[in-house]
Amino acid sequence: MTGKDENGILRSGTRDKVLYVIGEETENLPFVKTAEGFRVIAAGGAGRHIVLEGNAEAEIMALVLPGTGETNLDFNVEMAGAGAVCRLFGIYLCPENERLRINVNLTHSQGQCSSYQSFRGIVGGTARVEFNGRIVVCQDACKTEAYQENQSLLLSDEARVDTSPQLEIYADDVKCSHGAAVGRLDENEQFYMRSRGIPEREAKVLQMISFLSPVLDFLPEGRDRDALAGMVEQTIRNRF
Amino acid sequence: MDNDILLKIEGLEARTEDKEILKGVDLTVRRGEVHVIMGPNGAGKSTLSSVLAGKPQYIVTAGKVTFLGQDLLSMSPEERSWAGIFLSFQYPVEIPGVTITNFIKTAVNSRREARGEAPLSAGAFLKLMKEKMELVQMKQEFARREVNVGFSGGEKKRNEIFQMAMLDPVLSILDETDSGLDVDALRIVAQGVNTLKTPEKAAIVITHYQRLLDYIVPDIVHVLKDGRIVRTAGKELVAQIEEQGYDSIN
Ligand SMILES: Nc1ncnc2c1ncn2[C@@H]1O[C@H](COP(=O)(O)OP(=O)(O)OP(=O)(O)O)[C@@H](O)[C@H]1O
Ligand SMILES: [Mg+2]
Repeated sequence: MTGKDENGILRSGTRDKVLYVIGEETENLPFVKTAEGFRVIAAGGAGRHIVLEGNAEAEIMALVLPGTGETNLDFNVEMAGAGAVCRLFGIYLCPENERLRINVNLTHSQGQCSSYQSFRGIVGGTARVEFNGRIVVCQDACKTEAYQENQSLLLSDEARVDTSPQLEIYADDVKCSHGAAVGRLDENEQFYMRSRGIPEREAKVLQMISFLSPVLDFLPEGRDRDALAGMVEQTIRNRF
Repeated sequence: MDNDILLKIEGLEARTEDKEILKGVDLTVRRGEVHVIMGPNGAGKSTLSSVLAGKPQYIVTAGKVTFLGQDLLSMSPEERSWAGIFLSFQYPVEIPGVTITNFIKTAVNSRREARGEAPLSAGAFLKLMKEKMELVQMKQEFARREVNVGFSGGEKKRNEIFQMAMLDPVLSILDETDSGLDVDALRIVAQGVNTLKTPEKAAIVITHYQRLLDYIVPDIVHVLKDGRIVRTAGKELVAQIEEQGYDSIN
C-alpha cells in the first residue's frame, strides 16, 4: 500500500463520514476548504482498514481526479457487529494516462449488517483502471445485505478497464447482488440531443454527468453534495 | 429563384454500410405547405427523415439538399436544428439521468447562443415551458422526469410535440407521430401541429393512417416505395391507398 494509511475501529453506535479527494493540488480547491469531512490526498493513493462494531455507520466516498499517475485505493472493511452499515462510493475521472487500482475487501463477519458499494468512472486516453471488489459473507452472518456495482465509460480505444467482482457467501438467508459493466457513450442519445440543437460536445458532457449522477445521488442532499457535483461537472468540462 | 422554397431535395441517394436505402429522392417543400409521405414498411421513410436531420450512421452517396438556400448536407445535426429543422422521432430516445427541464433548457439556450442571443432568464424559460406543456396537455410533473425513461408510447410522442413547440421550427418532420396514440392524444398532437401551421412554415408528415389527416389537412401526398417517390398527388390519394393498398401504386 502506498500513501496515507488510516486504520480504525468504529465503536458501537458511532458514525463516521469521510470523503477522500485524490488528485494533485486538491488542498486548494474551494469546496475542499469549506466542506466538512474531507480528507485530501495529494496523489499516490489512499487506504483504509476499518472495523465496524454493532450499529456503527460509515460513509466513505472517494473522488479520483485526473492526472494522478499511479494510484492505489485500498479499502478493507469488516462488518463486525450486528446492525452496522457501510456505504462505500467512488468516482474516478481518468482522461489521460492514469493507472488506478481500486481494491475493496469487504467482510461480513457478523449478521444483520448492510453494505452498499457503488463505483463509477470515466476512462479515456491511455488510462487504465482495475477494480477488484471482493465481498465475503461468513458463515454466521445471516440476514446480511450486500450490494456492489462498478460501471465505467470508455472514451477511447486505448483506454482499458478490468473489473473483477468476487462474491463469497458462506451463510444462508442473505441478500447479495453485484454488477459490473463497461460501456461507451451512446450515439443514438447523442444524435437525439444534437437534433434538438444541443452541440455534440455539450451532449457528451450531459451524458457523462448523467452517467455519474447515480453515485452522487447516494449522498445525502445538501451543500457538500452540490459542491461535489459541481466539481465533478467542472472536471468533466475541463479535462475530457 | 423561388423565394417560397424551404427545402429542395434532388436525386438523394443514401445507404448504411451494407444496404442501399434511398435510391434517388426528389422533393420540394414550399412555405405554408403540409406534405404527407406514406409508404410500405421498410420503404425508407424514416431513413429520409434521419438523413435530413443529419444522422451520422447514414452515408449520402448522391444528390443535393438545400434548406433556405443553404447546403443542408454539409451542416451538423445541431446546425440544422438552429436553422429551423425539427424531427419528431418515430422511436424517441431515452436519456437516463437527464431531466426534461435540463434537456430542453440546454437545447433552447444552445440555439440562442448560436444565434448570438443571451440565454433565457429562469423565469422566462419556466413560463415558456409551462405554456408549451399545457398546449400538449403534458402534466407538469414530467418536467422533472428523465427524458423518455419509462414513458408510455403515447407520452413519448407528446414529448416530441412539446419539444417541437418549444423550438418553434420552420420545417417540422413528423415521423409516425400518430402511431400508438389514443384518440384524445391524437387530437392534442394534431392541435399542437396546427398551431405551428403558418404561411412561413411547413411540415412533412409521415404516417400510415388516414385518421391523422382528418385533423391535419395535407396539400400534397407522396408515396415512397423502395427508396423512391413513386407517386405525388393531392389528398385524394390517401383514400385510394386506404382502399387498395400500395400494390396499385408504382
Ligand atoms: N441503421 C440501419 N442499419 C441497417 N439497416 C437499416 C438501418 N436503417 C434502416 N435500415 C433498413 O432500411 C430499410 C428502410 O428503413 P426505414 O426505417 O427507413 O423504413 P420506413 O419506411 O421508415 O419503415 P416503417 O414504416 O416500418 O417505419 C429497412 O429495410 C431497414 O431495415
Ligand atoms: Mg419508419
